[in-house]
Amino acid sequence: MFDIFNVYMPIAEMQFNALILVAIGFSVGVLGGFFGVGGAWVVTPALNIFGFPMAYAIGTDLAHIFGKSIVATAKHRKMGNVDMKLGLMSIVGSVIGVEIGAQNVMWLTKIGLAGPVVRYTYMALLFGLGFYMLYDYATKDKRAAAQAAARAGASVPPRKSWNLPPMIHFPASGITISFWTVTAVFLFTGWLSGFLGVGGGFIRMPALIYLIGCPTAIAVGTDLFSVLFSGAYGCFTYGIKGRVEIIAAILMLIGASIGAQIGVTAVKYVRGYGIRLLFAIMIILAGLSVALKQFNMTLLAAWVVMSAALGMCVVIMLKLWQGFKKEKAEKAGHH
Amino acid sequence: MKGLRVIILNFFLLTIPMSLAWAAAEKAEALEKKVSLANLTGINYFFAKLYNENMWVYAIVVTVLMGAVGMLIALVTDVFLKMIGMEVSKIEHHE
Repeated sequence: MFDIFNVYMPIAEMQFNALILVAIGFSVGVLGGFFGVGGAWVVTPALNIFGFPMAYAIGTDLAHIFGKSIVATAKHRKMGNVDMKLGLMSIVGSVIGVEIGAQNVMWLTKIGLAGPVVRYTYMALLFGLGFYMLYDYATKDKRAAAQAAARAGASVPPRKSWNLPPMIHFPASGITISFWTVTAVFLFTGWLSGFLGVGGGFIRMPALIYLIGCPTAIAVGTDLFSVLFSGAYGCFTYGIKGRVEIIAAILMLIGASIGAQIGVTAVKYVRGYGIRLLFAIMIILAGLSVALKQFNMTLLAAWVVMSAALGMCVVIMLKLWQGFKKEKAEKAGHH
Repeated sequence: MKGLRVIILNFFLLTIPMSLAWAAAEKAEALEKKVSLANLTGINYFFAKLYNENMWVYAIVVTVLMGAVGMLIALVTDVFLKMIGMEVSKIEHHE
């Protein structure tokens, strides 16, 4: 029925349903817009499940991340919050990291192991993150009580940092930290980008705030700056390696841009911790779909990944609609 | 003595990424391929031909194009959202 939407991908040399590409982009856009992290970790597994060889899935995902980061930069105008010195270090570290990750993938492609190795890495990442979020949700009351007790008088232990020279001072962020800590953060997140085709913000943001000690506003700006350059370099280096399917990347970018508008609007209306529980379940289902693909249950994997991503979007959109109606009713009540 | 230890540790840490990148690059070189141009027309033919002729040019075109499409989409959605009266300056989206 949906065969009329099939388009030919000239680089990957395969037919692919354009609706699926727009739907993948759309779900990532909604999730990214709503939760504040890009959600590109759905794209590589989904493209791979639907038939893209792993290196093409990663390269195409990175190309779409780059396009999306341009949209995000143009919209948020957060560049004013970039710590330029840190930003420049992030470019160097991320670019080297992305290249190492990309070279690793190409080497694995050559020996025929890119699919399984990247899939197992995704499984570890998605299951780890998903179950951690479930644990976080389950213990939220206990943690809130502990925080309240800490505020009542107990002193906060000082943050321990690795002070191996050379130490670098970042005046914009007001921090002095070891060159190696900063390099390790950007190198690792860059590697993660190049190896898995993700933006890496879900690791870089907490690392910038808690490990490096950046103020949150500067962390957001510097993260955006870092994604912009690592995405551009990722797109370029996978392009040189012939692993970017440009038509697919553009279709996903269109879907993501529409989805992001809905996601960010929903932030205004949807409140509560409960949505995080759904997000954790969605991440676990994404991990499950990767496992199913690994064990050749491709059709089931496709259903699981798309149902999880689109199901989550439907929940967010329904809650957005309910919130919008409630706000409208309240305003009508005031008049 | 402490200074020497710092220099050695720095040298060791500096060589890790370089050796990894170099070692991996050696093995990834034989992965070039050509795509079939048969039955291709229009934009598909353009990209496939570019891909076959010069991968560097293909990579530059792809990167510039993604950036340009991103900017175009940002511009169009801004105009559209302003037309329907939505506030677009408070968007939070990273990664």
